[in-house]
Amino acid sequence: MTTGSTTTDPATTYEAAVERLEQIIARLDSNQAGLRETLELCGEGRGLIEFAAGELEAVGRGLEELRLDELIQRLEAP
Amino acid sequence: MNGGVRAQPGLDPVPADPGAASPAAGAGATVGVPGYPGPYAVGRYAARLRERLRRFAQVSLIGEATGVRIGAGPNVYFELRDSDGAIPCAMWRTDFERQGLSAEELRDGAEVVAAGGCDFYPGSASASPRFAFRVQELRLAGEGDLLARLARLRRQLAAEGVFDPQKLLPLPRLPRRIGVVTADGSAARRDFLAGLERRGWEGTIVWAYAPVQDRRAAPAITAAVRDLAAFAEVEAIVVMRGGGSIADLWAFCDETLCRTVALTPVPVISAVGHEVDRTLIDDVAAVCCSTPTHAAEAAVGVDCRAARQALAAAARTVDSNGRAAVLVRARSLAAYSRAPRDHLGRHRRRLHQLARELRAASARGRMLQLDYQRRIASTVMRRKADAAARTAAAEVRALPGRARTLAGSERRARERRAASLAAFAAALRAHDPERTLERGYALALDEHGEPLMTPDAVRRARRFDLRIAGGTVAAEALDSKEER
Repeated sequence: MTTGSTTTDPATTYEAAVERLEQIIARLDSNQAGLRETLELCGEGRGLIEFAAGELEAVGRGLEELRLDELIQRLEAP
Repeated sequence: MNGGVRAQPGLDPVPADPGAASPAAGAGATVGVPGYPGPYAVGRYAARLRERLRRFAQVSLIGEATGVRIGAGPNVYFELRDSDGAIPCAMWRTDFERQGLSAEELRDGAEVVAAGGCDFYPGSASASPRFAFRVQELRLAGEGDLLARLARLRRQLAAEGVFDPQKLLPLPRLPRRIGVVTADGSAARRDFLAGLERRGWEGTIVWAYAPVQDRRAAPAITAAVRDLAAFAEVEAIVVMRGGGSIADLWAFCDETLCRTVALTPVPVISAVGHEVDRTLIDDVAAVCCSTPTHAAEAAVGVDCRAARQALAAAARTVDSNGRAAVLVRARSLAAYSRAPRDHLGRHRRRLHQLARELRAASARGRMLQLDYQRRIASTVMRRKADAAARTAAAEVRALPGRARTLAGSERRARERRAASLAAFAAALRAHDPERTLERGYALALDEHGEPLMTPDAVRRARRFDLRIAGGTVAAEALDSKEER
């Protein structure tokens, strides 16, 4: 298994982050990873967790409701 | 252009027949256009055109009524329209009233079936000409009519691949901003918000309120979808309304709306009507949902509360694995470092144990050996005792014989000693000086009783005892001459 990068791709999505995190945890739970791979996976996992937590945080600050017509008016305002 | 074929027989409603429609009066003074028959008087041409149009087949048309005008005049006007085109319609008021339709029913946006044929009002010197489809029978379109029309449109759009592009768009499971097209204050809006609340989602919703049923619905919904994708930076668009008849939902079968949705670069989730109602937008959209609640779950694929818990668990797993990876190996290394000492310790303990066992074994061995020796000694002693007893018994048994032998031997020895003593006595007597004295010899003894062996000894003693047989007599040497 390739250990992958220890840094999170900034362009990744929540889905991709969670999918990769599940792969990492499955690999860690298998107890087949060596020390270096384990440390690299943990580093990558922490990055993914931070990213995913940020995504969840972004949709957990309270519902915001906007109206399209008001947005367009604002955009079209001189 | 080929001017010689402009008047095509069978297509031109007004045959270029000078006899049937002679050129305008005073033709000799007019000049036509080379290659074009005529010029004919326009009024006559218009009249011939009406005749030709009225000979078109009588048909029934289905479409959406728009621009309905039911005024005080003798005609009711409206247009029949669909996505491909429109045709003006006119209906005599008497015919309209005979249909039993109210002005409310023939409203803008109503799907109707109109039967009649082409007609043309040629106008006059002061009135404008007008083409119209003269409607003689009119009824609201039934579900069967709409479903048949829907099926045709569905086949057409499917053949053009309009249903495919949205399916190729990735649908984000956790969008931050969602656009929603629905009617303001609708139950669908409330259900959608409840679904999002159950998901634990608290992002941004951009509401694009639009009519969802009348003739304005399809254009408004189309514009809303287009504007949401263009201006609102949404990651998903939900188009929804509650259930209804197919006529009520007809706006969501609008061809323009469907084509707009197909070309929208943002995934569209449709939740129109109920599960049994399948509009064309359901076919075009990336995801088709049966209810607004279902649409909320499709728009936010992640249960945010559960995801937060799962993420916390994942963080714990990653942290514990990270710590364990080092700690376990550190413990292993420490154990490895202790291994030689432990190994020596084990061997030392083993040696001590062996030594103890050896000592114990030696003691046991000595005890066993001693016991063995005791048993051997006991056996030997017993055998010796037995043998001694047997010997003693034999000796006892032999004792009388030996006593007898000893007695015989004693007697014989006594006899031999007696014989020897007799011999010794005889020999002694033979050497006894008395016997010599008896034979006449005398023995000179000095005053100490010692014999005087030489004449000089006698002379020097001078006085001496002379022992003879029968006694001693004192004597004195008289002659001092030397013996010759």
